[in-house]
Amino acid sequence: MITLEDVSKRYPNGTYALRDVDLHIAAGDFVFIVGSSGAGKSTLNRLLIREELPTTGRVVVDGQDVARLPRSSVPLLRRKVGVVFQDFKLLPTKTVYENVAFALIVTGHDGKTVREETDRALALVGLLPRRHHFPRELSGGEQQRTAMARALAMRPKVLVADEPTGNLDPVTTWEIIKLLVRVNELGTTVLVATHNAEIVNALRRRVVHLDHGRVIRDEREGLYAA
Amino acid sequence: MTRVLYVLAAAWHGFSRNPFMSVASTLTVALMLVLLAFFVVTDRGLQSAVALLEQKVELVLYISDDAKVSQILELRARIEKDPAVSRVDYVSKEDALQRLKELAATRADIGPIEEIGSNPLPASLEIKLAQAQESRRVAGELRAEVGSGIVTEVVDNPEVVDQLLTITRVLSIGGLAVLGMMLFVTLFVIVNTIRIAVHARRDEIEIMQLVGATDRLISAPFVLEGMLVGTFGAALALLVLFGAAGPVTASLVKFLDILPVSLGPDLLARLAAGVFGFALLMGAGGASISLRAYLAK
Repeated sequence: MITLEDVSKRYPNGTYALRDVDLHIAAGDFVFIVGSSGAGKSTLNRLLIREELPTTGRVVVDGQDVARLPRSSVPLLRRKVGVVFQDFKLLPTKTVYENVAFALIVTGHDGKTVREETDRALALVGLLPRRHHFPRELSGGEQQRTAMARALAMRPKVLVADEPTGNLDPVTTWEIIKLLVRVNELGTTVLVATHNAEIVNALRRRVVHLDHGRVIRDEREGLYAA
Repeated sequence: MTRVLYVLAAAWHGFSRNPFMSVASTLTVALMLVLLAFFVVTDRGLQSAVALLEQKVELVLYISDDAKVSQILELRARIEKDPAVSRVDYVSKEDALQRLKELAATRADIGPIEEIGSNPLPASLEIKLAQAQESRRVAGELRAEVGSGIVTEVVDNPEVVDQLLTITRVLSIGGLAVLGMMLFVTLFVIVNTIRIAVHARRDEIEIMQLVGATDRLISAPFVLEGMLVGTFGAALALLVLFGAAGPVTASLVKFLDILPVSLGPDLLARLAAGVFGFALLMGAGGASISLRAYLAK
C-alpha cells in the first residue's frame, strides 16, 4: 500500500528530516512510528499526503508515485489517505455532524451519500448521540473521535494518525487506540505516529523507530524501545 | 447539487461575515464604476465634439477667371474621387460676392461694397474632408495644380488640423490611461477583500485541502463572493447613474444639442450592461488572483 524507496527530505537550511528511508507497508497493516520529537515522524506523514515532496527517492501510495502526481490529482490521493492530528482541526462553528458531513460535501458527494456516510462514520466512533453538539461542548476524546469520523467518512484506504492521543488523558487515549484497532480490523491500513510507550508496548504491533531521520529499527511485534 | 448549495451558502456567508469590509469594498467598487460611467459619457461627448470639428476642416481652391467650366468640372470630379474627401462645393464668383454682401450687412468694419463696380472675387471649390489627418496630403497634391491655368491658390489650415488631431490623440490615450487606472483600483480592492476573506477561513481551507477537495471547489465560493461585491457595486453605481441621468441630460441639453450624443435609453442600456459586465469580470478575476496566490503556497 505504501512504499518509500531511499527517501530523503532535506530542508533549505540543510537539516535532514528524513535520510535514506526504505519502508514498505502492506495493505491492512497497523504500524506505530516512534521516535523523539524531530525524528521525522511528521515529515513522513506529510510526504504520504503530498504536503511535502521528497528531496530524493520515491514515495508510492496505492501504486502511485506521489511526487509525479499532477497538482490536479493531489485531491484524489488525499481522499485515499485520511489524516488525524493531535489538535483535531475541527471547525468550531460547525456541529459534530456538520464537521463530518463537510468533508463529504466538499469532495463532491451527493446529499444522500453525505447523510448515509456521515451517520455510518459517527456510529463507528460512537458519536451519533452527540451529533448536534459543537466541538467546544465535547471532551478531548470526543473531539478526536469526531476528527476520526471525518477521516473515516471518506472510506480511506490508509488512516494516518499524527500523535492522535498527544492531548488526551490515559483513559481517553485507550478509547482512541481501541478505535484505531477497530478501523484497522475493518480493513484500513493504519499508521500511528506516537510518543506513548505504554500503548505501543501493550499492543505489540509493528514498530518503525525513527532517529534523526533514519529508520533504526523495524520490528513485527515491537516494543516502544529496543 | 449539495456542492452548489455549499458554494452558494459559503459565498454568502463570506460576504456577510465581515459586513464592514464587504460594504466598504462594495462602495469603493461602486464609486469606481460611477467614475467609469461618467468618464465613458464624457469621453464620448468630447470625441463627438472633435468629430464635429473635424467635419469642418476644409480646403479652399481659388480658380482662375480664365478657367473653362469643363475644366472646373473635370477637376472637381478628380478631387471627389479621393477617399479622404467627403464633399466638394463649387462657389461661383456671384455666390462669393453675395456672401460678402451678406457679411458686410452684419459687420460695420466692412465698408459699403455696392461701390465696387466689377466683381473682384474669384470662383472657388470648397473641399470638405472625411479624414482630417489627410488634410496636408490633399492640400499638397492640389498645390501641384497651381499654375496649370485653372487653380490660382490653395488655402488650408494646417495648424487647426494639427491641434484637432492632438486633441483626439490626447483623448484616446488619456482615456486608455484612466480606464487602466480604474481597472487597477477595482481589481486591487477586490483582490484585497478576497484575501481577507481567505485569511478568515484559512482553517476551513486547510481542512478542505486535507480531505481532498479540488482547488476549483475551494476557490468557487470566493470567486462568487468577489462577483457578489462586483454585482452590488454595479447595482449601486447604476442606481446613482440612472438617478443622475435625468438632471445631467437636462443641464447639458444645450451642449448636447449640437453634438450627436445624448444620454438616451440606448446609451444608458449599453452603459448599464458594460458596468455590470466589467464589475462581474473584475470580481471573478480579482478573487481568482487572490486564490491562486494563496493555493500556490
